[in-house]
Amino acid sequence: MMKKIKMIRLELDRSIYSDEAVQKAAYRFIDRFAAIVSRADNSIVVEITFGTESSNQREHVVADFKKELLDQNLRLRIKTETEAVRNLILAYAFSKSGLQE
Amino acid sequence: MTEKFLPVQDYLPDSGTYELLPFKFEPVGADEVILTNLTGEFLYLKREKLDSLVSHRLAPSDADYRALRARHFIRQPNDRATLDLLALKTRTRLSRLANFTNLHLFVVTLRCDHACHYCQVSRQSEDRQSFDMSEETADRALDLVFRSPNPAIKIEFQGGEPLLNFPLVRYVVEKAEQRNRVERRDLQFVVATTLSMVTDEILEFCRVHGIHISTSLDGPEDLHNRNRPRPGRDSHRKFTDGLKKARDVLGYDAVSAVMTTSPASLPRAREIVDEYIEHGFDSIFLRPLSPYGFAIKTKSYQAYDAGSWLEFYRAGMDYIIDLNKRGVRFVEHYSSVILKKMLTNDDPMFVDLMSPCGAGISAVVFNYDGDVYASDESRMLNEMGDATFKLGNVHSDSYRDIFASDALLSVLEDSFASSAPMCSDCAFEPWCGADPVFHHATQGDILGRKPESEFCKRMMGMIRYLLDVMRADPQAKSIFMTWVNS
Repeated sequence: MMKKIKMIRLELDRSIYSDEAVQKAAYRFIDRFAAIVSRADNSIVVEITFGTESSNQREHVVADFKKELLDQNLRLRIKTETEAVRNLILAYAFSKSGLQE
Repeated sequence: MTEKFLPVQDYLPDSGTYELLPFKFEPVGADEVILTNLTGEFLYLKREKLDSLVSHRLAPSDADYRALRARHFIRQPNDRATLDLLALKTRTRLSRLANFTNLHLFVVTLRCDHACHYCQVSRQSEDRQSFDMSEETADRALDLVFRSPNPAIKIEFQGGEPLLNFPLVRYVVEKAEQRNRVERRDLQFVVATTLSMVTDEILEFCRVHGIHISTSLDGPEDLHNRNRPRPGRDSHRKFTDGLKKARDVLGYDAVSAVMTTSPASLPRAREIVDEYIEHGFDSIFLRPLSPYGFAIKTKSYQAYDAGSWLEFYRAGMDYIIDLNKRGVRFVEHYSSVILKKMLTNDDPMFVDLMSPCGAGISAVVFNYDGDVYASDESRMLNEMGDATFKLGNVHSDSYRDIFASDALLSVLEDSFASSAPMCSDCAFEPWCGADPVFHHATQGDILGRKPESEFCKRMMGMIRYLLDVMRADPQAKSIFMTWVNS
């Protein structure tokens, strides 16, 4: 008998979620499910395929994934806002090391 | 005239405007996160505060505002020293990298009198001298050792059982000392031995030349003998006799011990710690098995996963903390490496917990046949037929060939955890490291898929444990502070 594939589809608003945040969140979950990320109009679509998990386990993992999506969005905001100063600090940290040519 | 005081505007109430500085966060529990900055400083924050912080709505009067500012997570427009301090701390953490290779491992023989199931080298029987390093190979290796710019050079003799080729150990020590009269480095020697074959003559040589002993103790007698079979099944007795002799001649502090966690060790963490204390050691390294050499061939490595090892680790640590509270000073080294990164601006440059990884740039291995490897684990892989991390051979390659080889540079480039998938946004990354040889061996990928990585699970587990303990138990945190500042 063919195993029933357990698939869940999430449609995320592109004005809220960035491609990068969604991909990073999906990567963090590759030990729990397989995901395909694609675009459709104004959405980012995540198709999640589970293995042998029970329905309860699947719900729990998807709930965690939704939280992770928000966290990744926030991480990206912090990264974008602090990128210039991060580069400045690193440049300054190495400026007296004698390592640069 | 020089101004003694800052201008009056510096003392006006804060305007409430601030700039975010680079930081990462990770959830801890349902409604809290932990924040870490570039240099590994950290603090806890409620979820709603994180949102306020990132949205620039956190008020200067907020209790967390001052801590965020003090630990360089935010800065106000008039904060002049913040970037300087962050840069200084970053440079301090990375300063040892510029020194390049410190630890030079000489595999003076593959022969061994033990037949440990998990041994990381493919040992040969005791009588096959074709597995011994020659003087010519040692000379070439020493040429490379002294090419390292590091003012401190440590030469560690490994095997097999290095005492089976002690004439070569003697040769290398004397030659290195001779060269060092001109080089004037801080030169140290260590012999990694089971002590089963130690003699008065060997110990006298070690005493005269200030050679330290790193030996192996896996736990109580039955466990040690089970892990370390040898003819006569007397490994523990030989260790005990050898330890006493070595301490009598070299002094107490010149002998340290390491243990390996076999599947049989898992339920016996407390007994193992007790065994170390009984033998007068003041520290232990709760070391998990590595997926190389005989550990793979005998399936020892597959016998337990990161979760089982973490249970063992936590049981051992709980007990060690309790002992410290009762006045017995006893350190766990694996935790100590991580804690040093958490609680100080120093990075101990432990090879497996560095970013970039310590392969080649912190330690390098000269095999008995002159092959050069990026790490001890790389040598094991080669014994299994995988030459990915072989950097060259002392007889055919120059210093530049070896240390600027693609085999080394590509590993270093790929092992910056701060740019690796998942690690790049992980708040624990400043305390962690990269282990490309481990990930290559287990996943066929130097970077490694971290969500499925046993290394990542182990590190996350240890870090979360240490954080939880420090938060719940101020006395334990004080104990950890003494570990990292000694």
